[in-house]
Amino acid sequence: MSTHTRVATLVGLLGLVAFAGAGCSKSIQGDAGSKSFEPAPSQAKSGSGNGAGAGSGAVQESPGPQFGSLPGDANGGATGKGSGEERVSEGVAVAKAAPTDSSAQEAFQQQMQREQAATAVAGLDDVFFAYDSWKLSDDGKQALSRDAEWLKNNGSRNVAVEGHCDDRGTQAYNLVLGQKRAKAVRNYLVELGVASNRITVVSYGKDRPFCRESNESCYRQNRRGHLVVSEK
Amino acid sequence: MRYLLIITLLLGAGLGAILESGAADVFLEATRPDFQKIPIAVLGFRDGQLPDNPGARLTQVLKDDLRRSLIFSVTDPAKLGLTLDGAYGAQNVLFKQAADNGISVLVWGQVAARQPDLVLDGLIYDGVKQEAIASKRYVGAPPVLRQMAHRLADELVYRYTGEPGIAKTKIVFVSEQGGSRELYVMDYDGYGPRQVTADGFLSLMPHWSPDRRYLVFTTYRGRTRQDIDAIELATGKRATLVSMAGLNITPAFSPDGTELAFASSNEGNAELYKYNVRTKGLTRLTANNGGDLSPAWAPSGRELAFVSDRGGSPQIYLMSADGSNVRRLTFEGDYNAAPAWSPRGNWIAYVCRGPDRQYKLCLITPDGQKRVQITSGQGVDDSPSWSPDGRHLVFSSTAEGKSHIYMINSDGADLERLTSGGAHHSAPSWSPA
Repeated sequence: MSTHTRVATLVGLLGLVAFAGAGCSKSIQGDAGSKSFEPAPSQAKSGSGNGAGAGSGAVQESPGPQFGSLPGDANGGATGKGSGEERVSEGVAVAKAAPTDSSAQEAFQQQMQREQAATAVAGLDDVFFAYDSWKLSDDGKQALSRDAEWLKNNGSRNVAVEGHCDDRGTQAYNLVLGQKRAKAVRNYLVELGVASNRITVVSYGKDRPFCRESNESCYRQNRRGHLVVSEK
Repeated sequence: MRYLLIITLLLGAGLGAILESGAADVFLEATRPDFQKIPIAVLGFRDGQLPDNPGARLTQVLKDDLRRSLIFSVTDPAKLGLTLDGAYGAQNVLFKQAADNGISVLVWGQVAARQPDLVLDGLIYDGVKQEAIASKRYVGAPPVLRQMAHRLADELVYRYTGEPGIAKTKIVFVSEQGGSRELYVMDYDGYGPRQVTADGFLSLMPHWSPDRRYLVFTTYRGRTRQDIDAIELATGKRATLVSMAGLNITPAFSPDGTELAFASSNEGNAELYKYNVRTKGLTRLTANNGGDLSPAWAPSGRELAFVSDRGGSPQIYLMSADGSNVRRLTFEGDYNAAPAWSPRGNWIAYVCRGPDRQYKLCLITPDGQKRVQITSGQGVDDSPSWSPDGRHLVFSSTAEGKSHIYMINSDGADLERLTSGGAHHSAPSWSPA
């Protein structure tokens, strides 16, 4: 286990820090005046802010560690007229978050469409895998030999290998499985003499399926290393 | 998502069989086995001059909340001759009669307009004390009327247990719309889904900060970039927390909110890291030839459960929060993944694959001594996430064909579908209370 700080690769917590100073709304807080957002549910909390003396006397505010405090917390949620009223808002206010960089996102989408078109013209062969497996089959190796040939004849072009999985298993583990499949494809292409810097890998797990039925023929379609002529 | 389907047919029979066989000694704490549910009756809400007569709907919301709390048993007041009109006559004879018939708590109230708001008054009568113990008034804009009923339900849970209740909690999940997968937040009962992201590609596996202020998730930004972003829900502001080469997936905040555990394939295969959001220090937690992913914090913050295939198949492992003391937790079957540590610390829920090759939900104690499967049948169950009261799990399942979000008690009872429609719904995560 090593510890290192990677300021260069980690885009840090600027946002969170910025948020904290941004005077964010009280509206994220639903309850009036009684909030302490400790994560542990076993901690006793004040369930009601005011009025009508809250049931058992066991109410304690635990001073446990917290993720920052909301600006304006001291004011509590706004209470209505008179005592005994609780102002109710959405427990969690939800604002739609714009993409960080919508033009970059759009450019990426367009790039994917161009790549798809270029891939169709190139006629690269995909590789298919067995259930739970990232081992290349003989058929898969033959397909990659043809792909390697194309790459040698088209030295200015690069390729992205997408690892895909069928619908069985968990989303998270399938992302790792898809990564293993994509890397198996890359490693074999490198073995066949393609420069490794011409090949990128990405895993889509089971989240970008080619086929959406729950049957074996569909599963087979989705357990795939998909080769795309990429623009980097 | 207007429809809540209670699906008992699907799983009922199979569950019964599983829970009865071999698991009889396993104490599954939806509630304690000796816990006697508190009989409660909701008389209703007067809604006077309000045009759309929300009283009946409020009654239903409150009854559903009370049923799901697993603290109360909701009884029908009509059988005892108790009516809403009677309540306003302060007919203590009737109340006493109800108490004598075993109803411990009576609730009723009214909803009225006070422009531009609605006002919900709730009265709570305790049949044991034989007196009205509380009168609560909630005020809010018309769209939050359901929230007011949820608040009254949580008040009741709080008064009788000292716990905060879950009726006002939220669930974040991923829904596919027009080919892209985006984050949505809905009420814990499936109502009011609201879109959070609109990135147009893939946003995956969201998780809450302990203060409910942020969501963290993986977003695909390009062929070689999958970052972990944080979004502040109230404002929609966002920041990228982790952007290393390769996969950056399965982020999870520590219970104190200072550290983000996640998996990254930056250095080859997927390894676990934790990122301190205050110091910006990065600590690598695992180093081996297998894939390590899906870190799940113990509520103490001192340990993590995670998935590793270092032994050849994905299994659940435990380690101390500094990466030391790694030991394997699951040994049954050749596929165990997606762990979620219960808020009380006594169970870890995960996806298990049994001899029938189906992916179902299992629970195991952190010492590995007790294990039980709580769902059965066809389909892939995935992404279990605990309710903050530790009595329920939310998860995704393809049991009905399409992938939907479901809620279930931790003992496998009361399966309830929360989403509807034809879209693909996945990766739910339950907010803190």
